[in-house]
Amino acid sequence: MTGSVRIADLGGARAIILHRPHAIVTALTRQLQAVGLHVTTCWPDLPAEALAADFVFFDADMGFDDQFPWAKGAAPMPMIALIGSEAPGRVEWALATGANAQVLKPVGDSGVYSALLIARHGFEARRTLAAEADDLRRRLGERQTVVRAVIHLMNATGSEEAAYAALRAAAMDARIGLEEAAARILAKPIRPVTKGGAR
Amino acid sequence: MKRTIPLGLLYSVTGSYARIGDACRTGALNAIAAINADPARQIAFDPLDRDPGGNIDLYAPLCDDILRHTSARHIIGCVTSWSRKEVIPTLEKHGGTLWYTVPYEGFEASDHVVYLHACPNQHLLPLLDWALPTYGKRGFLTGSNYIWGWEMNRLARDTIHAAGGEVLGERYLPLGSVDVARMIEEIRATAPDFILNSLIGPSSYAFLKAYADLGARDPRFAPDRCHVLSCNLTECELADVGAAAEGLIAAGPYFRETTGFGSSHEAAANRAVYALANLLEQSSDAAGLPLSALLDTPAGQRSGIDQKTHHTTQPVLIAQVRDGAFQVLHDGGLRAGDPYLTGPAPVPAPTRLRVIS
Repeated sequence: MTGSVRIADLGGARAIILHRPHAIVTALTRQLQAVGLHVTTCWPDLPAEALAADFVFFDADMGFDDQFPWAKGAAPMPMIALIGSEAPGRVEWALATGANAQVLKPVGDSGVYSALLIARHGFEARRTLAAEADDLRRRLGERQTVVRAVIHLMNATGSEEAAYAALRAAAMDARIGLEEAAARILAKPIRPVTKGGAR
Repeated sequence: MKRTIPLGLLYSVTGSYARIGDACRTGALNAIAAINADPARQIAFDPLDRDPGGNIDLYAPLCDDILRHTSARHIIGCVTSWSRKEVIPTLEKHGGTLWYTVPYEGFEASDHVVYLHACPNQHLLPLLDWALPTYGKRGFLTGSNYIWGWEMNRLARDTIHAAGGEVLGERYLPLGSVDVARMIEEIRATAPDFILNSLIGPSSYAFLKAYADLGARDPRFAPDRCHVLSCNLTECELADVGAAAEGLIAAGPYFRETTGFGSSHEAAANRAVYALANLLEQSSDAAGLPLSALLDTPAGQRSGIDQKTHHTTQPVLIAQVRDGAFQVLHDGGLRAGDPYLTGPAPVPAPTRLRVIS
């Protein structure tokens, strides 16, 4: 996830500011509205509607875990921490809460637009990597299935190499992953197609 | 009896971009003179002139000097984005407002700045919307190593690719450099349909002269064959380019032909002074109000200045230099400023704004 930053789709996007009424909320709201976002402010709890928001700005100074209607660190949208105290404990909490970017208090005339872009970029990168990691983890878990399928196919093909080639051919023919092909072969044994036919 | 209100002027009328600063300042001073002489006006402006001389490090101190040592709360000034960024913290500190009268690359909406010239949805995007079908989709991008060139070319690249076109080259020069030979050679080698020129000042003049020479040697680059497009070239710099300017295409809100002002810089500065006069004339305490409060008044709502972004609605014109002067080729109607490109897609409206003031 390097390269160009996506600037589209901010017009009409919904931002929630989770912060007690304060001048920084006014400054944030002004900047967000100038960019074209719709802004809702709430404190101390994020309502269930927050699940539909595109961005959440949260107070890292007074914030606490119970404010969020999702599992800790599992926010379904980019999160931006509003940081006043830079005490390591608060930074740690903001990170654990899922901050993808930060805006320092007091909020002045600028800083929100780049925070939106960086938060969204980081959020999407994290989500993509998490999906890739899930996929790799799942495939790792299927190692045994693959081994069993190869052993099974060796009965027909005679060699481990030919059995593996047959498994790959079966996966390619069905346009599925190696692991899924292995699972199918074990679930419903098929006669593999090998060079020179079955022995 | 007129109320006299001090008004800061922060333009470099010496230094490398003095032409532009001078054009803006002329527009502001002429408007101030006209308002001061107008018996129907209840206010007069007392201009406080400061010249940073093109030295970036003098903008913030001179801005601070005006806001700290005089009662002026409004400053018309700055040409480069760099200088505008330099003064914003000082404006914030003192509750001042900058009236900015030069085209820029967008992506800013300060609470303390009014943007009176064009941003990309008012210059670059309509220019490309018109040029790609007219000249072709294969472009070559040039620029100075500076935010203007970088951001203009980034947007141009995205727009050209989205239209199914091709960027044949993208080449930058250090600020002030006139070493254009390699750029010219690459253009000759790639033979694009058009060139987007986002070079600044002397680099731009040197490039345009070298490109005109190329056009004289090789008919593929004659002014009527491969056009040079620009969003920052106005009448105030034409003299520096000389005969090499012939055939250049520029996008902008105002041209001498349409407004009678010397350049769009003059026109934008004129608009700034009149808009400010209308805002301040409303009440005797208006001169001390912050910009947000001024815009939240009847005159503010009539000002054409957007309350959220502080950008202005402007004509979109595309003009070509013919016989040494810009002639409008295409009128894209009025367009509201959309600095973050988050607004709805523009609907072409063939309205033409005439003289402002």
